[in-house]
Amino acid sequence: MSNPSEILLDVNGLQKRYADGTLAVQEITLNVRAREFVSIVGPSGCGKTTLLKTICALLAPTKGSVKLHGTLITEPPPQMVLVFQDYARSLFPWLTVTGNVMFPLRKRKDMTQAEKETASQRAIEAVGLTKFAKHYPWQLSGGMQQRVAIARAVAFRPEILLLDEPFASVDALTRADLEDLTLQLRDEFGITMLLVTHDIDEAVYLSDRVFVLSTPPSTVLEEIPILLSQPRDQVATRSEPGFLQLRNHIHGLIGKKKEDNSKRFILDSPIPRSVELEGDPVS
Amino acid sequence: MNKVFNRGNAAGIITVIVLLLLWQVIAMWKQTVYVPPVSTIFLTFLKEWFSPTFGQQAVPSLYRMAVGYFFASLIGIAIGIVIGSFKRIYQLLDPVLQFWRAIPATAIIPVGILLIGIGDQMKMVVICFGAMWPILINTADGARLVPTERLDTARIFGLTPIETLLRVILPSATPMIAAGMRTGLSIAFIMIVVSEMIGSTDGLGYYILQAQRTFAIPEMYGGILLLAILGYLLNTGFVWAEHKVLAWHYGQTARPV
Repeated sequence: MSNPSEILLDVNGLQKRYADGTLAVQEITLNVRAREFVSIVGPSGCGKTTLLKTICALLAPTKGSVKLHGTLITEPPPQMVLVFQDYARSLFPWLTVTGNVMFPLRKRKDMTQAEKETASQRAIEAVGLTKFAKHYPWQLSGGMQQRVAIARAVAFRPEILLLDEPFASVDALTRADLEDLTLQLRDEFGITMLLVTHDIDEAVYLSDRVFVLSTPPSTVLEEIPILLSQPRDQVATRSEPGFLQLRNHIHGLIGKKKEDNSKRFILDSPIPRSVELEGDPVS
Repeated sequence: MNKVFNRGNAAGIITVIVLLLLWQVIAMWKQTVYVPPVSTIFLTFLKEWFSPTFGQQAVPSLYRMAVGYFFASLIGIAIGIVIGSFKRIYQLLDPVLQFWRAIPATAIIPVGILLIGIGDQMKMVVICFGAMWPILINTADGARLVPTERLDTARIFGLTPIETLLRVILPSATPMIAAGMRTGLSIAFIMIVVSEMIGSTDGLGYYILQAQRTFAIPEMYGGILLLAILGYLLNTGFVWAEHKVLAWHYGQTARPV
């Protein structure tokens, strides 16, 4: 397991321009330390999904680099797994919960069959779905389906989990449950988390650090350490004075910069609308 | 499942009985040789088809159809998956395929006779040609419409392109493949009858046409009745198997998420 203070993921000057010339991500520099919970928060359509896909090398960057343990990434590395917002589209409906969780493990040559079964059982247990192991995803509620997607990612034993608005399609109570689940998985499995969200409260509640993005073409407006007490608690944390200050500060940042940018875009070009369509198709 | 077998559909059965009775009454009243009463047709049917005639005429048809349909499925799925998975190949072949599949399959029979002759092979080839298109086009659509998230998931977990094709794209496309195969089955059925009517010395198409030409009118109707029964059984069997194999798909679509 990695040293806690080591920089695990290093994103340097990352830019993504689509083939049609649309600039989705202008320049993003950020890093994530081992076992840290980092959130990237920004307005809807600021190219967050594009950013995550570029970080895990599903898309090739136009400029800049992504390094994992100091090694340049050009193909999706096995130490990194991305969990999508749309669980219904990323899960395999013809497989049961166990089938879905076991699916990626077939690629793991370093594990025996028994180890794979244990890993999958443990991951399913960790997300609280042991009773539903033989169900199909579509027999479960939305929140439970996202748990399956998370279990599938966790069983693969990645070092870092990239979460693309994973709780955006579930109701508020389920959302709180899933938020706490990710914190618990971080502690239980020692997985580093990089979350992308447009929900400022969620970012503050979960994270050790938050990067605030501008409207597209996105850049990092500010890096904010979140020094709230640990462990986090849905009621206590959210009523800390520090919590309110932080969320108000971020709201101010996103609100203010949005106005500035919109003025600039009117002068420059009609890029922002197309970026919203291209960069963040699900939201 | 009730939908599949129309189990307990009393109203539907009454319609069938009324229509048959109507036929019987009109035929007995008009006394024409061209439309014999239902009772005569049934008796001829039982006499003809519960005899070696079944083996001589029906079995060759079913055999040709089975072989033609098998290759239609094999080729249609294989080419369809490749076309649907690779955008470049799709763009390259789509105009040709759209034009080619617009040819009514029966129009290809003279070409088949010209190139292959009138043997079993010709029938298998034209059946395969006719039934292949809906399977190919549907498979390609099914493969093309796999959600991006699912393909990205495969890449993230390090699947090779071949593994992605076999373990992600192919299963994702199975509902569309099955729909294409169902259409292909009815086309195969049309193709076997027409090809046997045009150039054959046995088979159901040959039998029906031959019965008409020799004024064996009850036999002609009996052959048509046998086709109806076989077609119904094939389709029902297919739908039954489809619901078994694609239980996940029907379960999923039955409850909107």
